[in-house]
Amino acid sequence: MGKREEEMEVQVRIPTPLKKLTGEQDVIRAKGGTVGEVLQWLTEAYPGLKERLRDEQGELRRFINIYVNDEDIRFIQNLETPLKEGDRLSIIPAIAGGSYSRRRVTLTFPPKLIKEPVIYNIGHRFNVITNIRSANVSENVGWVTLEIDGEDEEYVKALHYLDEIGVAVEPVERNVIE
Amino acid sequence: MNYVRCLRCRECKREYSIGPTHVCEFCFGPLEVVYDYEKIKGTLTQEKIEDRPKSMWRYRELLPLNDEPSVGMNVGYTPLIRAEGLAKALGVRELYLKNDAVNHPTLSFKDRVVSVALSKAKEFGFRVVACASTGNLANSVAALAAAGGLESYIFVPYDLEQGKILGTLVYGTNLIGIKGSYDEVNRLCSEIAENYGWAFVNINIRPFYAEGSKTFGFEIAEQLGWRTPQHVVVPMAGGSLITKIWKGFKELEEIGLLDEVRTRIHGAQASGSNPITSALKEGVDWIKPQKPKTIAKSLAIGNPADGYYALKTIRESGGWGEDVTDEELIEGMKLLAKTEGIFTETAGGVTVGVTKKLIEQGVIPRDESVLISITGNGLKTQEAIRDRVGRPLIIDAKLTEFKKIFEAKQKETDLRVHGTI
Repeated sequence: MGKREEEMEVQVRIPTPLKKLTGEQDVIRAKGGTVGEVLQWLTEAYPGLKERLRDEQGELRRFINIYVNDEDIRFIQNLETPLKEGDRLSIIPAIAGGSYSRRRVTLTFPPKLIKEPVIYNIGHRFNVITNIRSANVSENVGWVTLEIDGEDEEYVKALHYLDEIGVAVEPVERNVIE
Repeated sequence: MNYVRCLRCRECKREYSIGPTHVCEFCFGPLEVVYDYEKIKGTLTQEKIEDRPKSMWRYRELLPLNDEPSVGMNVGYTPLIRAEGLAKALGVRELYLKNDAVNHPTLSFKDRVVSVALSKAKEFGFRVVACASTGNLANSVAALAAAGGLESYIFVPYDLEQGKILGTLVYGTNLIGIKGSYDEVNRLCSEIAENYGWAFVNINIRPFYAEGSKTFGFEIAEQLGWRTPQHVVVPMAGGSLITKIWKGFKELEEIGLLDEVRTRIHGAQASGSNPITSALKEGVDWIKPQKPKTIAKSLAIGNPADGYYALKTIRESGGWGEDVTDEELIEGMKLLAKTEGIFTETAGGVTVGVTKKLIEQGVIPRDESVLISITGNGLKTQEAIRDRVGRPLIIDAKLTEFKKIFEAKQKETDLRVHGTI
């Protein structure tokens, strides 16, 4: 935490329904010392996000859940939750009852990872079950469409791990498979 | 004649046309059916309702179908009972029971929501219906799908009570037991709903489905002679029923069939699954999800879909909420059976137990009118009290044998009467 607040950089995961407002980016590097400051930074950088995340009174919308690392901010300090360099923020829409995140993803592997047992690793490091639905791996590039099953928390951890090691993660849109 | 205007987001109020959808695309809030009350006011009267067949469809102007219902024509209009015996036991003046333990056809209030959901699913042209369930909904979807000529897929936690498993399988459905809690079943179903073109009654058909619960409230008002009691106690799992009973009362007020509604609505949960009453007692308006641990499996929802709105209903109506332990809910079931001759399931035990608590706490004054919502049947959850109701006395087929045990029984009674036991 040696840096001054305004220089602090965190990663923000953007859910699929909001991606068109961030130029199709699903992970954004944002700045701020608290969750509130990061949201402020985000909505200044991507003005379309503001009305989707906050209501007319400026309150965070009720069905938007925000996680810092793997913890729901309502159970930490809400918008005042302090952040440190490298923290990961996830914006996850709650869909009528479940904190719901899309569980089918396409992973694209850079050449350096093609020989690594990445899918095996996430199954072992986190409490998730993986199921390969379709795949194409050649010498230079590979992609896998994967079903990931498990508690939200473990699922989010697995996604963060994939990000970290350099695997590109794309949610699978409805009706791509089956 | 159709009185439905549109679907509307409960949060940001954006409007959507009628379709099998349940979430606002803009703010992710839940969608709700909106009616043209002005139009209904002009046409629906108490007399008109009273002249119709005794089923929930006597209030059809306030239900979201385009056509006549095609599934569950005989659902609803269950008994409303003045409960003198239980009133005496609880020490309250005027007590009523609304008894959906004998709802047709599957003995729980879920038949109300399912008949709306399946009729609507047919209007939308679905051939396959599905649900995530803690048991009662499973029974109801399986039965009404069978009667309505629909194929059904039903997802439940794998460790449900036997009665609820059997009472689903018998209708020839596809029953899938998930190794996990209801909340996990629900989450999986959200994904299945995304990938299969089915009518999930409590997911993509939810706005219509939930409206069926209003009829529980309509019937209370009508059966009490077009008035509402001062207190209604409602069990809470996902939190939908309590909001819809309130909505039902307010709608009757809106269209002029009730005077100003002053009912206080109280919520009941099991202590091992009390995300809503916890939030109420803590004075917050968000729900902290739990991992449920209670024998009241039909209430074991740790992340209630309508939790926030249930809280809002309780607060708006000036009500309160409580929760009871497994021990207290069993006592509640036995008390209702012994005083009123009604065998309710664990959820009903919770509601009776909570009513008792609220009366003892003075939240419900002893001289006011109270209605307890009984939503399910005890024959489905026999495991809960199997070891708590005693055993039959087994004898040979001889008069002397009977005399022996009868005399022993009498002695026991005498001793009890004389206070030595």
